[in-house]
Amino acid sequence: MPWETLIFFLVGALAILSALGMVAMNNPVHSAIFLVICFVQIAGIFVMLGAEYLAVIQIIVYTGAVMVLLLFVLMLVDMDDLPEFHTAEPLTRVIGTLLGVMLLIEVAIAIGTRTISGAPGTDTPEAVALVGGNTQAIGRVLYTKYLLPFEIISMVLTVGVLGAIVLALPERLGLEAGRRRDTISLGHPRGTDTVLPIESGAETANLSGRSNAQPAGVGRTLIMATDPDDQPVKVGGRRS
Amino acid sequence: MELTANYFLGLSAALFIIGLMGVLIRRNVLIIFLCVELMTAAVGITFVTFSRETNTLDGQAFALFSIAVAAAEAAVGLALILAMSRRTRSVDIDDFRSLKD
Repeated sequence: MPWETLIFFLVGALAILSALGMVAMNNPVHSAIFLVICFVQIAGIFVMLGAEYLAVIQIIVYTGAVMVLLLFVLMLVDMDDLPEFHTAEPLTRVIGTLLGVMLLIEVAIAIGTRTISGAPGTDTPEAVALVGGNTQAIGRVLYTKYLLPFEIISMVLTVGVLGAIVLALPERLGLEAGRRRDTISLGHPRGTDTVLPIESGAETANLSGRSNAQPAGVGRTLIMATDPDDQPVKVGGRRS
Repeated sequence: MELTANYFLGLSAALFIIGLMGVLIRRNVLIIFLCVELMTAAVGITFVTFSRETNTLDGQAFALFSIAVAAAEAAVGLALILAMSRRTRSVDIDDFRSLKD
């Protein structure tokens, strides 16, 4: 058995085992570490296939950027129910496994009986080596034939990052940026712009728990409530 | 034993299906997200295999694009998970049903 085949089976077995470990692990951090192992094996497969540039990109983008982002999110997400094993109902589990096995058999038959049609391209390993290597050859393809998709991908990344920022904003902050909930009004007895039902002396001051103003007419208290959840803060004393 | 392209395609299919079964079976949103990432990476192996077999570089260019799209998808997906877990205090996929109810 040649060395290349041996290394392929080693790398492939490690990739599949770490992928299975990722699915089976309970703690998401352990799953992420198994996925890092699997991605490193996939980068090794890329090297065996002669795509050195993609292997480096795989390591940098996937195992570097995406996994670090995921670990940061894991720290921010509070999981109260982490210790229990998160799987679906037994019926769903059986159906999922069955579907997976059926799909694997189907794909294996398709791979075994496939034929390739059309003339092979011109980028043989010799031609790639003549240009200066895999990275140079990919650069030439990207900036000539795939220039427009390349630019569109940069737009997709920009929009994705903007969307991520908008989605990850705290909701309260987003509301506050959109419109002010409470404003200070010197003209209104309660100090807010909200028109509250003004009754006579029986009116309780803590209507909706937001305001501790005196009943109307007795005195005016300036109330600043910037946040619906906060306790109102008295800014000035009574105004006569 | 000759190392043909079919071995690489089989490995890619196996990794993809492991990811698919993880999406179907697990209920933790973060693990489902990891499984989707694994499926994207497995498709990249198929791209590069056919790129070598047909002596073209188009497959490698497409694999590069798929990595870029996966990075954008990771950013948006993780922001969604963060927002949803902040709202429901959970990472269980069955708790995220406010669109259905």
